[in-house]
Amino acid sequence: MSLTSNRTKHRVKPPRKGLQGDAGGFEQMWPELRDAFGEVHKKCASKLSYEQLYRKGYTLVLKKMGIQLYDGIKESESVWLKAEVLGEIRAVLAAGQFQTSSGRSENEQRIYGEEFLRIMKNTYNDYMTSMSMIADVLMYLDRVFCKDHRCPTVFSMAMGLFRKIVLEESAYPNDPVNVLRHLTDIILFQIQLERSGEIIDKSLIRQCVYMLEGLYVTDQEREEDRLYVNAFEPHFLDTSREFYKSEAERMLFESDAGAYCRIVRKRINEEQDRCRSTLSDLTTEKIVRVVENELIKNQIGNIIASPSGVRHMIDNDLFDELELIYELESRIDKRKGELKKALQKKIVEAGMEVNNAAIAASQASAAPAQAGEGGESSSRAPAEKSGSNQTVAALTWVDDVLKLKDKYDLIWQRSFDQDQDLQTALTRSFSDFINSATFPRGSEYISLFIDENMKKGIKGKSEAEIDQLLDKAITLLRYVLDKDMFERYYKKHLCRRLLMNKSVSNDVEKQMISRMKIELGNSFTVKLEAMFKDMTISEELTSGYKNFIHNMGATDPTRVDLSISVLTSMTWPLESMGGAIENSDSGGRSKCKFPPTIERVRQNFERFYSEKHSGRQLTWLSNMGTADIKAIFPKVQTKEGYKERKHELNVSTYAMVVLLLFNDLPADQRLSFETIHAETNIPKADLVRTLQSLAVSPKTRILVKEPMSRDVKPTDHFCFNEGFKSPFVKVKVGVVMAGNKVENERERRETEQKNEASRGFVIEAAIVRIMKQRKELSHQQLIAEVLSQMAAQFKPEVAMIKKRVESLIEREYLERLDGQDLPAYRYLA
Amino acid sequence: MSEEKQTEYVTLVSCDGFEFKIKRSAAILAGAIKNMLDPNSRFQEGLTGRCEFENINGLVLDKVCEYLYYNEKHKDAKDMPDLDIPPELCLELLMAADYLNEREREKETNSMRRRYDKGRDFLATFWRFR
Repeated sequence: MSLTSNRTKHRVKPPRKGLQGDAGGFEQMWPELRDAFGEVHKKCASKLSYEQLYRKGYTLVLKKMGIQLYDGIKESESVWLKAEVLGEIRAVLAAGQFQTSSGRSENEQRIYGEEFLRIMKNTYNDYMTSMSMIADVLMYLDRVFCKDHRCPTVFSMAMGLFRKIVLEESAYPNDPVNVLRHLTDIILFQIQLERSGEIIDKSLIRQCVYMLEGLYVTDQEREEDRLYVNAFEPHFLDTSREFYKSEAERMLFESDAGAYCRIVRKRINEEQDRCRSTLSDLTTEKIVRVVENELIKNQIGNIIASPSGVRHMIDNDLFDELELIYELESRIDKRKGELKKALQKKIVEAGMEVNNAAIAASQASAAPAQAGEGGESSSRAPAEKSGSNQTVAALTWVDDVLKLKDKYDLIWQRSFDQDQDLQTALTRSFSDFINSATFPRGSEYISLFIDENMKKGIKGKSEAEIDQLLDKAITLLRYVLDKDMFERYYKKHLCRRLLMNKSVSNDVEKQMISRMKIELGNSFTVKLEAMFKDMTISEELTSGYKNFIHNMGATDPTRVDLSISVLTSMTWPLESMGGAIENSDSGGRSKCKFPPTIERVRQNFERFYSEKHSGRQLTWLSNMGTADIKAIFPKVQTKEGYKERKHELNVSTYAMVVLLLFNDLPADQRLSFETIHAETNIPKADLVRTLQSLAVSPKTRILVKEPMSRDVKPTDHFCFNEGFKSPFVKVKVGVVMAGNKVENERERRETEQKNEASRGFVIEAAIVRIMKQRKELSHQQLIAEVLSQMAAQFKPEVAMIKKRVESLIEREYLERLDGQDLPAYRYLA
Repeated sequence: MSEEKQTEYVTLVSCDGFEFKIKRSAAILAGAIKNMLDPNSRFQEGLTGRCEFENINGLVLDKVCEYLYYNEKHKDAKDMPDLDIPPELCLELLMAADYLNEREREKETNSMRRRYDKGRDFLATFWRFR
């Protein structure tokens, strides 16, 4: 800057001495200041000139007499506080003490308290105003002296004096209780009054709290040293804790769970409001925690378990109360442990009830069923009836479970804020009772439910309704742990539906499959899809065969039409289709002897098939086929006259074979059971059933049995019923065991055995897969790996895995590792 | 003068009897004047709106007032023109500033005092500090 070169031209005048003032020394100035401050306390400041006082302070500091000035103020203020302020407060207290001794009513006590608070507030506010004026005057002292000597400013020093001399002084001479404690007690008393519903002067208390907030325990004035936090708050929290503890006990005794929750919520809101309007925001969280602890945390278990608790609320659909419980518990426990526990217990109980009802329903009918089995074929009809009873039980069970599910879903949505944790808990509970050890039929029932709907339920329903239905089925399926068991049943039921054309809509079937694919993965549905594929191929084969015959030119009017289903034996559960009985009879699928006409068809088809696919073996499952036969019955007298009657009989393949035997027979000839058996080679059990449907059931009595009885015995004889009458042209001869019913005990055992066996293979496969990859693995790890791999399909028992490992070791897939602390295995390539 | 109604102008009086009527908003930029005039502290000055300074002469107070206005005008500005301060006044001005606790100048005062103590010519800085 150019001016720097000119600096010598200017002369700086020395400051005149007058600026520092010339008003003499400390001894002269201090009394003037002290007197002036006294005037300030007496609210007579308007006579004083700020400038003059300020200048005195200024001068004293400049003359290095700050320390004397500071100490002087300290002393004079102490004197003022002791004499004037403490005196006034003690006077009020003394009046109060006098009243205490004479026994005060609550109201008197309250008036006294308010009086005390008012005095307290006024003195403090007055003192604060005066001190802030004095501190203003002594600004230069603050700015220079206090800063340099690192001592508290005049104002905070004065506030410290107020605490020391007024608040921490005993309330009465020689009283151990100090003024501060007294003040605290009075405020707490007022708050207690408000809690019991009275109206108090909130702003007055607020003022006193301001005071406590503005004062500090130490002179450093750190945030955590606030008098409010140190002296008042702990007492407040303690008394509140006591109060709510006793209130909790009282309320539990007096009111029901819903009312309790409402009160708790009200209390929490009240305390929050109180902190906002009467006390300090600093306390909000702490007091809310106290209320939560006393009213919720310590009692939530009792509330939930009480007779009017969660159980009662769920039973009566008290959504609002449930929501309250949820809200309260989520305040103290993010995981909502108690509510979860109660819910799970409730669901499992309700679920068990549904289970037991289903078991009871099925057992009520199982008793006659067993009697029927004992009498072999004698009481087939009631056994069947019981079977359908069981089906009803199954459907009821599914319905009930779904209802339960809907109910809890609704509660979850309306009352539980769609809480994730609770949803998992709900799901787990449902899964618990559906898979409970005492109720092994879950998978079967669900499959039956789908079966029933596929056959009848979805008739005449809109797409949306069907969608909903499928969703329900999938929801249930999600809960099932033993998915392989379900697959087995579903396959069996689906097989029946496909072969007997029972499905209402193929589209819906396919939709279901694709849903299962999404839910359970590809591997689950591969076989089911293969079944559909087989059906399509079979249709092509049938039409292909028709052309084939047509081209052969054999247009024989008596030619037998053939509609065929070629099934891949691996994918179709043929054993469970009633083949088991034959197996036990003759140790293998016995071949039924077809009459020549039919035998020709069979041979033709086999030729046709082997032309298309060489090297494939066809096995004829004659027990599963049906046939349409045109039968002509002799002339009998009818209303219209004397004429022949034609009927179309829809019968099973076996029945057709039997009936064809009578074709070549003179009208009055009889055939014995033994002869029929020998001619047809139909397994006995099947033959009994077939004959039963042909000769016993009244509507389709095409054969006449001798002697006439309900049972078919090996000694019976049969002849053609020429007098057969039916109002319909088409007659369907009932096929025994056509529908999908709940299995009886024996079938169930078989299914389970089969399932166990197939699980064995699956587990072995998994073990080999794992070991091939890892080469060596400890026993524990192996078990864990297997369990995790199997989780999607079923939950294997550890004992079973062990057995499989043993078997693999025997067959030298694995070997034990020696010299290890823990048992371990090695894979042998 | 009532305390509710604050006058727009206040009077500053020097020891040699010069009166300066300046805007209250400018005057209270100096901490001591602000306290003096604070309507809450009911000192004489607060009621009358008249402050007498027995240790500041008219010449200096004139410059103080000019400075106060200057300060108010450039309250928020970043690049402001220098305030013309005659060098012969600067020491007295400094002391007046310290006395009146003009916040803006506090820093400069301190830095100048340091330089002065070190026996260096502080004028250059004094000229530059605005």
